[in-house]
Amino acid sequence: MTKVISVKNLSKKYGSLTAVNGISFEVNKGEIFGLLGENGAGKTTTLEMVEGLRKPTSGNISVLGCNLEKELTCIKEKVGVQLQSSAYYQFLTLKEILDLFGGFYQKRLDPMELLKMVDLSEKANSFVGSLSGGQKQRFSIVASLVNNPEVVFLDEPTTGLDPLARRNLWNLISKIKSQGKTIILTTHYMEEAEVLCDRIAIMEKGKILAMDDTHKLMDQAEFPFTINFVKENVKDTIISKLEKLGKVENLFGKNNHFIVRVKEKKDSEIAIKIVESINPETITSGRATLEDLFIELTGKTIED
Amino acid sequence: MWKLFTSDLKMLARNRQSLFWVLFFPLMFTFIFGLFFGKNTTVGTIAVINKSDTQIATGLTSALEKSNIFKVQIEDNLDSARDEIKRSQIAAAIYIPAGFGQMTPSSDKQVQIVYDPGSQVYSSLSGVVGQYLTTVNYQVQNSKPIFSSVLEPVTNRNLTYFDFVLAGVLGLALMNSSIIGIGVNLAKYREDKILKRITTTPVKSWKFILAEVLSRIVINFIQISIILAVGKFVFDAHIYGNILIIIPVALVGAFLFQSIGFVVAALSKTADAAQGMAQAISIPMMFLAGVFFPIDSLPKWLYTFVQYLPLAPLLRILRGVMLEGTSPFFELKNAIIIFSWIVVALIISIYKFKLSDE
Repeated sequence: MTKVISVKNLSKKYGSLTAVNGISFEVNKGEIFGLLGENGAGKTTTLEMVEGLRKPTSGNISVLGCNLEKELTCIKEKVGVQLQSSAYYQFLTLKEILDLFGGFYQKRLDPMELLKMVDLSEKANSFVGSLSGGQKQRFSIVASLVNNPEVVFLDEPTTGLDPLARRNLWNLISKIKSQGKTIILTTHYMEEAEVLCDRIAIMEKGKILAMDDTHKLMDQAEFPFTINFVKENVKDTIISKLEKLGKVENLFGKNNHFIVRVKEKKDSEIAIKIVESINPETITSGRATLEDLFIELTGKTIED
Repeated sequence: MWKLFTSDLKMLARNRQSLFWVLFFPLMFTFIFGLFFGKNTTVGTIAVINKSDTQIATGLTSALEKSNIFKVQIEDNLDSARDEIKRSQIAAAIYIPAGFGQMTPSSDKQVQIVYDPGSQVYSSLSGVVGQYLTTVNYQVQNSKPIFSSVLEPVTNRNLTYFDFVLAGVLGLALMNSSIIGIGVNLAKYREDKILKRITTTPVKSWKFILAEVLSRIVINFIQISIILAVGKFVFDAHIYGNILIIIPVALVGAFLFQSIGFVVAALSKTADAAQGMAQAISIPMMFLAGVFFPIDSLPKWLYTFVQYLPLAPLLRILRGVMLEGTSPFFELKNAIIIFSWIVVALIISIYKFKLSDE
């Protein structure tokens, strides 16, 4: 597999604060690579160093086989960047902005084609101010494609959007991937990372805690199997039987909703039989989610 | 680069806030001062109530009209003229009684001047009237004055206060539109991460900045032309200097304030902060650098300081060029002060103004 981005021992210090602490990762051609973590984990700083916007305190970055420091202009021609919560010119129309930014590159795409791709053709002659949140975000992403880049950087592309607009963007991002482009994105939404990313690095306090293919990452959880069930007045004897197999929790204070987490598949099968014997209202069994893993790794949930 | 330039122009034309500072604000001043002190606005209007048909009486009326100091309004009732003075509609009235100027012993020998003590018209009016009557007295007595005075104006150009202010307003317009325009605009670009976004593209920062400066110079050119045209053609301003010298001098001024605008953008984190800083710089300068009144009349300790404000030397040069047709380098000191400010502002901008965070 071709490596598009390679980062080695990257660190960034601001005075006594270490924002990024010696991380290494690689991004393969054509994949969506996600940096997942809460605010302040160092995702944006990492991304902006790879984009050439910030100077690393130490470490090596190479993008598309070029050394970031020496061949920055050459790299800039081939990458597209969407910044976190950035705005665009207030008094230029969408078409004019894309035309202007296209002019910065040797290779450029037709503004109308780009707008069509994100269903904004009708807004071609409007100002950014007249767009909805989701439309703005779509525009912001398509604006990073003006030079038909090989690598696209998306910094929290769906933060602050409603669920529908978020799904809409997921479609767009997968469309970009299907054009053969490599995407590296940051997010603090577990679901988003799980759905979109081929590979994920979980970041916390400037370090990468875990990194793997998304589906393999879940196997790293200490308790990879879960059984969910709903039942009123469960007897203590049943609970203690289940507790021998793994962990038993109530779902956020609902005392009729239980989650059983177990380490082994055979234990999970035994647990299912025990639960079925008390005729629960519902029962589902599944695998640990990314969120479960994240909580195990960091000891906390991500708060918006 | 061309695209950046044309896009910048488009944005400037569409941005109402910047248009306010570029055009509306200075034009407002031009109109206010023009209406007060421009065309046909002499010191004040006086009423002449002439009840006599003698040559001496009509001669006085025409002497007042020819003096060009007042606007003369012919009326026929002294009492209604008094009311008009009280209502400040006219500044003074002169009553020439019936029979004034007849060479008969019983005829009236006095004209009556009614005036508003709050208006300064009185002294010029009594001066003109006194001078006329003195001449008439000599003629009647068939004698000649022994002592007299000769008047020599410093310039033979007919300059008004409006001419003085027009040059001031031109400088004011350049200052406001450039400091506020560049400072606030670029700070907003930074706040919106547009500057950062630009640095992710291969475009060179100097091209981005040059396009910004050039597009504003074009706008300044239009601004200067409109202000001068309104001053000259609407309010009859006297512009003696060569327009081909006035405009380049004004554009150097524009560049001076643009560099200060870059300093503002460099030192402020948000657009609001830039707005405040720009106004903190421009408003005191508006009053202390001689836009509306000559700063030579300020107390000496203050003058020693304010004469070096960036706007002050620019106005001195502009007034020299516009009103007297002198060379911009007539007083080299002014050019040196402007040049020094540009250098200082550019040095600060180069070190402090960054498109990206790092």
